[in-house]
Amino acid sequence: MGRVVAIAGFNLSLLTSPLAIVIVLSLVVGLLMVVVFGHTSDQKAIGIAKDQLKAHLLAVRLYRDQIPVVMGSYGKILRGTGRYLKLAFKPLLYVIIPIILLMVQVDRYLGQTPIPTNAPFLLTVHTTSSDGFNNATLDLPPEITMTAPAVHIPAENEIVWRLAGARDGKYEVKIAAAGQSVAKAVCVGTNLVRISTVRLRGHFWERMFSSAEPALPDDSPIESISINYPDRNIEIAGYGMNWIWLFFILSMIVGFIFKELLGIQI
Amino acid sequence: MTASFRKCLRVVCLLALCGAGLSLLVSCHRARGGALQSRRLIILGIDGLDPDLLTKFMAEGKMPNFARLAEQGAFRRLTTSIPPQSPVAWSDLITGMNAGGHGIFDFIHRDPKNFQLYFSTSKVEGPKHSLHIGSWVIPLGSGSAEQLRHGKAFWEILDEHGVPNYVYRIPANFPPIAAKGKTLSGMGTPDLRGTYGTFTFYTDDPTAAVGAVEGGEVVQVEVKNNRVATNLIGPDNTFRKNSPPATEPFTVDVDPLEPVARIGLQDRQFVLKEGEWSGWVPVEFQLMPVIGNVKGICRFYLKQTHPRFQLYVSPINIDPENPALPISTPSSYASDLAKQIGEFHTQGIAEDTKALTAGVLDDKEFLEQSHTVLAEHRRAFDVEFPKFNDGLFFFYFSSLDLNAHMMWRLTDPQSPAYDAALAAQYGSSLEEFYQQIDQVLGEVMPKVDDNTTLLVLSDHGFAPYRRSFNLNTWLLNNGYITRKEGTSGDSNEPFSDVDWSRTRAYGLGLNGLYLNIRGREREGVVESGAQADALLREIRQKLLEVRDPKGGAQVITRIDFASDAYQGPYARSGPDALVGYNRGYRAGWKTILGAFPADVLEDNTNAWSGDHCIDFTKVPGVLLSNRKIAAQAPVLTDIAPTILSEFGIAKTKDMMGQSVFHPR
Repeated sequence: MGRVVAIAGFNLSLLTSPLAIVIVLSLVVGLLMVVVFGHTSDQKAIGIAKDQLKAHLLAVRLYRDQIPVVMGSYGKILRGTGRYLKLAFKPLLYVIIPIILLMVQVDRYLGQTPIPTNAPFLLTVHTTSSDGFNNATLDLPPEITMTAPAVHIPAENEIVWRLAGARDGKYEVKIAAAGQSVAKAVCVGTNLVRISTVRLRGHFWERMFSSAEPALPDDSPIESISINYPDRNIEIAGYGMNWIWLFFILSMIVGFIFKELLGIQI
Repeated sequence: MTASFRKCLRVVCLLALCGAGLSLLVSCHRARGGALQSRRLIILGIDGLDPDLLTKFMAEGKMPNFARLAEQGAFRRLTTSIPPQSPVAWSDLITGMNAGGHGIFDFIHRDPKNFQLYFSTSKVEGPKHSLHIGSWVIPLGSGSAEQLRHGKAFWEILDEHGVPNYVYRIPANFPPIAAKGKTLSGMGTPDLRGTYGTFTFYTDDPTAAVGAVEGGEVVQVEVKNNRVATNLIGPDNTFRKNSPPATEPFTVDVDPLEPVARIGLQDRQFVLKEGEWSGWVPVEFQLMPVIGNVKGICRFYLKQTHPRFQLYVSPINIDPENPALPISTPSSYASDLAKQIGEFHTQGIAEDTKALTAGVLDDKEFLEQSHTVLAEHRRAFDVEFPKFNDGLFFFYFSSLDLNAHMMWRLTDPQSPAYDAALAAQYGSSLEEFYQQIDQVLGEVMPKVDDNTTLLVLSDHGFAPYRRSFNLNTWLLNNGYITRKEGTSGDSNEPFSDVDWSRTRAYGLGLNGLYLNIRGREREGVVESGAQADALLREIRQKLLEVRDPKGGAQVITRIDFASDAYQGPYARSGPDALVGYNRGYRAGWKTILGAFPADVLEDNTNAWSGDHCIDFTKVPGVLLSNRKIAAQAPVLTDIAPTILSEFGIAKTKDMMGQSVFHPR
């Protein structure tokens, strides 16, 4: 029984590994990308545009000794390409926007790893007022310890603390400045968890793409709190790469396969 | 039966035949491997393990595992090489030949035609042809790294006989020769700048001597608004005209009050307290946009923040994960090992002895760095040794050698560099390193069974280095060297002040004495043959008579002529004679590079206070084994034949020695 549980646990851990997630995600996204493109595009017009492009390319090869024909064909290829891009633009928007939003969310899980246990990491606080800069203090949970005095960098209004986490888990570090206290989440360990590298005040778009925490209060003397989480590399045949590269390559391959299988023109 | 069916049948039969042949081959290979598998050989190569210190520590009960091995097996003094320098000694061990056979005579060699000095064991060269466009130099072809040691290494022969082997950081194997097993290069491996190790020291102290120091560089910086903005100095950029060093900017933000700073280099930031070391920090030098970059690793040590800023940066090591030069076989091994144990020193001489000598690191800091090196070796050992099942396992440790060089003074009240207060603090540090090696042996011994031979050996022992003998000054004073008119002899260029038309002999390297031979040296004046022999005998006679005015001791106890000491095709490529100093003496620091200090004899006040580059009979190494050693006076050149013999392989005709277990 114990062996069965161990095998099941092993398989489960394989399925929840970053590599497995990227592969599954690439399969699903690759398929959806093709289906959505097929349904939102004018397939007939795209087919005609591609056929015309092929015909002009053929003309360039066949009539290469007739300069006026070749030049005319090049012009038509340019125009045909423009027409093709125009036809592909709208369906691509339908595909790309949800993919970007999805990637932003997935990146919070796969972009970085939590801080390894007992490894030092930096908590950087950027302040906007000298009061905040001079009087900022840190309130740490018992599992997180400060391993060096804070470094104050007046030129950048920054304070950097070197910390280390003793046990796996998600913790809150509180920073008090100018009478206000704000918190920043810290993830320690090896689990696949949602990581927020930075907590920001304002900066809507930056928050959208890089923060997974609520905005800091508008009147806070602190503009940002960031943690230097290590980048996660997914190992493929001895090469480590960011998940986005792997996702890009795999989803393109999957997309091309499904395009052929479903007879969709891209 | 259709034609296509017959075709299929033919293919199936052919495949079956191939399969049968393949399985036969595999079974033959296994059978062969099985026969060899009956023997296992473990060698711990401990550079500089001294027989006298070992005997003392064993007697004091401080090295119980060595004592047990010596008691149950055998302990012999191992006659070292001529001269007893590590590259020479390990080459003797590797090839079973002396320097006449392998061609390594010293750490440095000279080109007799132009007196250019070069590393004896390897040569790294850029591409032969290049295209110059403005300030850019476009290489037409690739550069090369060439190993200069000649002769077959014992693991090459083991490879030929199908004996699995693992060789960790054996000296004089850079770039590593082609091998089937895993090997990692050791002593002789340069840092990323192509030197034996160049540290950088950044300070805002206006009194600091800025510029190049031996083994390093001191850089003046300015702390402006609590920030230091400076450059990390990398390898020479051969893509640029005149090859200026490549640099990478980095910043240090110092806290205005606290002794702590944040360092930012490329996309990495880290915080160091005063007196703290960083881990390995990767750095990438851009030599040419897009196509030319090299990766290295270095460590930072924040020595002081206030009142003076002092930051030490280690020599930039070749990054084992992305080696710019070949450092392992297979080439992926260095990276694989780094993945298992973390980044590690790849530079051949990892302990930064030069930083201690220059006063950039103090004893405590040097020892911290040394312990890091040993910890890396032990991590690699802990990963690799459990994997060892058959064949040869060779593992090298550098710690006893480098720490004996630097810490001897704290155990020797007669040393001019002795400091009682420091001795009280760090006098036992060398002993502690010995004990750590004993712990390693303790991990090995449980794996030693009846089919396993264990050898623990060192390339040489150690002696105090209290007084320097400036051979070139002596040759000058005795009329064998003549300086050009009006020169002081202070030039940094080797021998640039020498009038070669009136010079008959010169000293180079730690033990080398050369004659200025006509036809060999650029402006040779001594005829080879009888004239040269007579001159050598004359110089030997005079050198052996030299007495130290301070105490009256004989300074040089032995001089070996190359013609007697060496056999093999390279016997006449090195020095004409090897100067063997008495215990307590060694060639002076400047004389070894062809300079002329004022005094023939002077105190060695350098932290480098223990040495072995002396009379080879006075610094034997050690040889311990779990088996009885039949040879009463084993020598280093016996080791390669011993290794081969353990696997039933006959020694090659070039090998001079014989198995220490079965001497004939």
